[in-house]
Amino acid sequence: MHFGQSLIDALSLGALYALVALGIGLVFGVMRLANFAHGEIITGAAYALIFTWHLGPVVSVFVSLLVGVVLAILMELLVFRRLRTTTPATLLIASFGLSFLLQRVYEALFGTNVRTAPVASGLAGTVTVLGLRLQILSLVTIALTAVLLLAVHYFLTRTNLGLQVRAASTDFRTARLLGVRADRVIMLTFGISGGLAAVVAFVMTVQTGAVGPTFGVPLTVLALVGAVIGGIDRVIGSLVGGFLMGFASSFFSSWLPEGIVRFRDAFVFLLVILVLLVKPAGLLAGSGTVERT
Amino acid sequence: MSELKTPATGLTVGGRDLGRRRGRSGSSARLATMWTLIGPALLVYLGTVVASQIGGPVAVQGAYALVSLVAAVGLQIFTGTSGVLSFGHIAFTAVGAWAYGLLTIDPTLKKALLPDLFSFLADVHAPWPVALAVATTVGGFLAFAVAPFLMRLNGLQAGIATFGLLMVVGQVLTYWSSIGPRSGQAMVGVPADLPLERLVLVAIGVIIVSWVYQHARTARLLRATREDLTAAPGSGINVTIHRVIAFTISGAVCGLGGGLWAATNRVVQSSHFGVGMTFTIIAILVLGGTRSLWGAVLGTLVWSALDSLLVYLQGGVTLGDYVVSIPEGARPIILGATLIVALMVRPDGLTGGRELTWPVQRWRRRG
Repeated sequence: MHFGQSLIDALSLGALYALVALGIGLVFGVMRLANFAHGEIITGAAYALIFTWHLGPVVSVFVSLLVGVVLAILMELLVFRRLRTTTPATLLIASFGLSFLLQRVYEALFGTNVRTAPVASGLAGTVTVLGLRLQILSLVTIALTAVLLLAVHYFLTRTNLGLQVRAASTDFRTARLLGVRADRVIMLTFGISGGLAAVVAFVMTVQTGAVGPTFGVPLTVLALVGAVIGGIDRVIGSLVGGFLMGFASSFFSSWLPEGIVRFRDAFVFLLVILVLLVKPAGLLAGSGTVERT
Repeated sequence: MSELKTPATGLTVGGRDLGRRRGRSGSSARLATMWTLIGPALLVYLGTVVASQIGGPVAVQGAYALVSLVAAVGLQIFTGTSGVLSFGHIAFTAVGAWAYGLLTIDPTLKKALLPDLFSFLADVHAPWPVALAVATTVGGFLAFAVAPFLMRLNGLQAGIATFGLLMVVGQVLTYWSSIGPRSGQAMVGVPADLPLERLVLVAIGVIIVSWVYQHARTARLLRATREDLTAAPGSGINVTIHRVIAFTISGAVCGLGGGLWAATNRVVQSSHFGVGMTFTIIAILVLGGTRSLWGAVLGTLVWSALDSLLVYLQGGVTLGDYVVSIPEGARPIILGATLIVALMVRPDGLTGGRELTWPVQRWRRRG
């Protein structure tokens, strides 16, 4: 495989993982919740795409976004709001349980087999640029990620609500004392994270065309782990960690020798454990503690 | 830090000082202490007797419940004492099951099923007590080998790193055909050497091991680090060493659990030892209460009873003129919801993290 091609592939997978990690990292900032169940938001939004694609792309994408946002907000309202005062470890167990629960719900509703639909199949082709055969989807993913990152950056740094989100992430208690409405900020953050999950679901569904009950799991596990090694208490840390995770696994897939490539995830996780040993709080950790004070 | 203030017995029951109670009445305090061992063991024994008397599917579920109990007690030894979360203990269960399967499957069958095995693994054959001992050793050894790395982490990072361990071990067992079946296939033909009456003895043995450990000095010091991770090292406690000890013992017990699982299920496959089993063990501990042995025992009992009840309802139950039944997929959904509701309603579990208290004393005091 050509190096330039695998570079673009790695960039696009890194971008995708960065989007997942960004959704997880934003929620972690305000909640101290590392949400395992983020993957089930992706799965839900992907099912929505598959089932509504025959209604036309605009309607389908809209429904999918709606499903993502509503699922995320429901998680907060029904489960995580009631656990807000517990430790990050308890929240992690709760989200682990919620992830298991939602997978079983999807199984009961849609069966264990994958459901398929030719979602945006036009994007699955390739184009030749400067002698490189590139997947259109890779380019779209990179562009989409760039736009979303700019949008989230603008929101966080240039709007009043974004300022409140950042304040709540930095010091939740003081932010509340200064008049930041906790419930509203947390719900908004979950909503944004749900929207980001829906975008990820779109890219993944175009790529595979098939959605099963555990569709979002592998992506979420790697991105969550990436966010933690990047430094989950800062948005930039999650983002970079997620990107590195996607980039590394794509590169391992292309360049590891034939007999070893099956052990790719084992290599990735060994790397993760090593990073956590050297920098337990993450590569780009902030000065704040991980536990909520 | 209440644990450190009781040099006389060093025992606390749900945070209350047993030493003081001894001053009031020595024999009843000793009884109360022994009761924290005898009570859970008795319950496990009686539960197994009931399950075996009912027989049929209930006896089978009872066998699986005993296996879950061993793994849950194993995880409790570490997580309950240290307060550090682990998503990785099923990795030890997996290697234990692997070891047990490789040692007990008939060599001729094994060579046909697992053609890529290392030759020493292909020829080896051992009776079940030896296989169980090896499963325990392998689990404990793996835990001891990774502990120095993992034990420096806390909270979320510990959760992620132990989850990483589960993924690595899972992938190695799935794809390394020199130590098992080819990519993700199953090891079949594990002999049924462990009927209910042997399983229950092993389970009670594990309860005794856990009880003895909980009363050892190292466990007391580790509980102090759980209560205050800043003050305990300040008092001269080496956190890492005591965590490594707990992790190794708990890995060994989970390895033993893996051996029991192999003998009970009789088919061993790497996909069994993943997120699903991790979920079950963690849910059992959360339900019962992570911080006590009694919590692990009661959690297993309640969880298994609920699971059996749901299986029973799936088949349909006739109540007068009505047939009550739940749809196929409802069982795991209800189980999943149980964990989340338990976390919301009783975050410290049914036992509140306390050991079983001796009931008679309470009556005496009232009278």
